[in-house]
Amino acid sequence: MSEPSIWIVIPAYNEGPIIKGVLEELINHNQSYNIVVVDDGSSDDTVAATEKMAVHLLRHSINLGQGAALATGIEYALKQNADIVVTFDADSQMRPEDIDKLVSKLNEGFDVALGSRFLGVKPEGIPLVKNILLKLAVVFTKLTTGLKITDAHNGFRAFRADALRKIVITQNRMAHSSEILSEIARNKLRYKEAGVKIRYTEYSKAKGQSILNSINILYELLTGGKK
Amino acid sequence: MILAQQADNLQDISSQTEGHILIKVILILLLLLVLRAFLVQRSLILAKRLSAIILFLVLVVLVIFPEVSNWAAHRIGVGRGVDLLFYLSHLFLLLLIVGLWRRINVLTDTMTRLSRQIAIYDSSKPEDRNPAHK
Repeated sequence: MSEPSIWIVIPAYNEGPIIKGVLEELINHNQSYNIVVVDDGSSDDTVAATEKMAVHLLRHSINLGQGAALATGIEYALKQNADIVVTFDADSQMRPEDIDKLVSKLNEGFDVALGSRFLGVKPEGIPLVKNILLKLAVVFTKLTTGLKITDAHNGFRAFRADALRKIVITQNRMAHSSEILSEIARNKLRYKEAGVKIRYTEYSKAKGQSILNSINILYELLTGGKK
Repeated sequence: MILAQQADNLQDISSQTEGHILIKVILILLLLLVLRAFLVQRSLILAKRLSAIILFLVLVVLVIFPEVSNWAAHRIGVGRGVDLLFYLSHLFLLLLIVGLWRRINVLTDTMTRLSRQIAIYDSSKPEDRNPAHK
């Protein structure tokens, strides 16, 4: 049996200054990764910076949101017969070496491996208010889906292809995180968390989700999505 | 003296009625404009056209004979005709917003699927851009 093909899906929106470094770090970590960058209608040089790299490049004609970009990349990777799909961020918050931790969970027989900031590695530099909101999100997830996890809004995940085919993402913007979790619950997928370290750099903090956005996420969940 | 005052009063009343007529003309013209803007849509189905025209006629009647709304309000236990119209228009606007909101959701969904298919169709592999890759 040959090695399972690992596909890394990276949604990118206006990550021009940083994406090249992120991709280089990934490729240096493991040359055999198939990397898919989904440009979500960036207005900067994200595409130009990505084009030079050895990655699969997909472009949304307009900005649709991170959830939509992820779904596009996932559909593409599955069409290319990926065995394992890992979702990764373009803002350098995630460390490529943590991919191995997630993939090893899949090798242990789980369908989905979820990255968690609060497991194993001691979290550093998470702003206090953000920390409280993340804890609230965990409680919210427990109440709405029954999933017992320690980090509900971590975009670092790995899926086996057959499990991923069952997951339907309809939330275009940020609420897809919660949606993926409820899809895991609905399909009764075997999930396991793995500790990952998130690097809170000045760049990512400036780009990342503002705390107020959690209200938006709740609103999206209540109103958006499919009819 | 008294006569002059009476003449004043009369003038007041006549300018008031003139004012009434003026506002009625303005309102009916505005309604006509709205109706026209609505009916020029070519794709509109007949049922919608008819209900728009009926609604227009009802509103014109209400503008010309405002007492009708008072009468209708009293029949169903609302104090004033204006209040009844206020409630009804709120209900109407809410329905309109829900309808628009649903349509926006459907549109967004379609747009997302379109962009996704275009993105996948136009995707480029590493070796497409640079034969040296892989």
